[in-house]
Amino acid sequence: MKNNRIPFLYMACLLLVGVLMAAIPASNNSGYQVGDTARDFKLKNVDGKMVSMADYKDAKGFIVTFTCNTCPYSVAYEDRIIDLHNKYAPKGYPVIAINPNDVKESPKDSYKHMQVRAKEKKFPFPYVYDETQEITKAYGATRTPHLYVVDKQKDGTFKVAYIGTIDDNSREPEKVKKKYAEAALDELVAGKAVSQPNTKAIGCTIKWREA
Amino acid sequence: MTVYLKQLILLLALGFISSTAAQAQTVTTIKFDQLQELRQAPHDTLYVVNFWATWCKPCIKEIPYFEAANAKYKDQPVRVILVSMDAVQDKEKRVLPFVKKRNLQSQLYLLDEPDGNTWIDRIEPKWSGAIPATMFFNNKRGQYKFIEREISEQELQELITKYKL
Repeated sequence: MKNNRIPFLYMACLLLVGVLMAAIPASNNSGYQVGDTARDFKLKNVDGKMVSMADYKDAKGFIVTFTCNTCPYSVAYEDRIIDLHNKYAPKGYPVIAINPNDVKESPKDSYKHMQVRAKEKKFPFPYVYDETQEITKAYGATRTPHLYVVDKQKDGTFKVAYIGTIDDNSREPEKVKKKYAEAALDELVAGKAVSQPNTKAIGCTIKWREA
Repeated sequence: MTVYLKQLILLLALGFISSTAAQAQTVTTIKFDQLQELRQAPHDTLYVVNFWATWCKPCIKEIPYFEAANAKYKDQPVRVILVSMDAVQDKEKRVLPFVKKRNLQSQLYLLDEPDGNTWIDRIEPKWSGAIPATMFFNNKRGQYKFIEREISEQELQELITKYKL
């Protein structure tokens, strides 16, 4: 009997630590955490049309990607964002790319420049402009690229399932060992819980409009 | 014992670097463990550690402020350290020419850790990974401040004045 008490205490401690850790938010940044309901948006695509998640009747979710023309990290990931879309759009999770940068602070992230870049790279997904930065702030994106994978619920709302980076090596795609976003998407597609729903990477700060 | 040895080596390195301050600094490539060691430096010194990269425009804008602070507090227990997030492959081609052109005098590191997900939370859970980012700390006095955004020259001055001995 006595021997059983130590593992029990140990388990109880572990449980307590777990509960405490769950109670402390991983970050004090505002914006969405994994599990939150993400709002829809209506933003202008490079083709002039407005895009909302609600437009996609058959989607199971989205890879909402905050990215831009000017950040070298974003540029380094352009091809991999295209690959993500091509791989996961057929499985129900298309990419919607959102440029969050203020045009005054970052002139080459203007709508015109977005159109040029989208054409050059033949983006197979919408590349929309969050001119007021309202959506960027609501999501809590801070850097480019910054991914939010959202999962459509039965009631039509979108639950944040993954926040983070694409993989473990921005500079050298051939040296990538951990494809964080793909791992999360594979789990979602398989109807499983995402085992690593938060990842981080160095990226360019979003160019906020001067108050 | 090893901890003391490491501290001694760090002190010697700092002494060596400050004695050769006339020329632009060399850039020391470090791994996360060395960054963590720096973050835990036990000295009664204010460390101002700025994370930047040659490709980061807002970072480059604020580098002169850090350089000015480095010069101003040279003879005081204030250490200004610039940690480059450039890829190690870009050190020769991009970082060293930048350092030379700007004649940077602050202590310079390049953190060779491509997978931010393995270390960002360990140095600062509040950090989302955007740069510029700056930390201020004096571990002896338990002082710590982290800023994940651009900093103005005035704000930098005020923070150093607030924390320095």
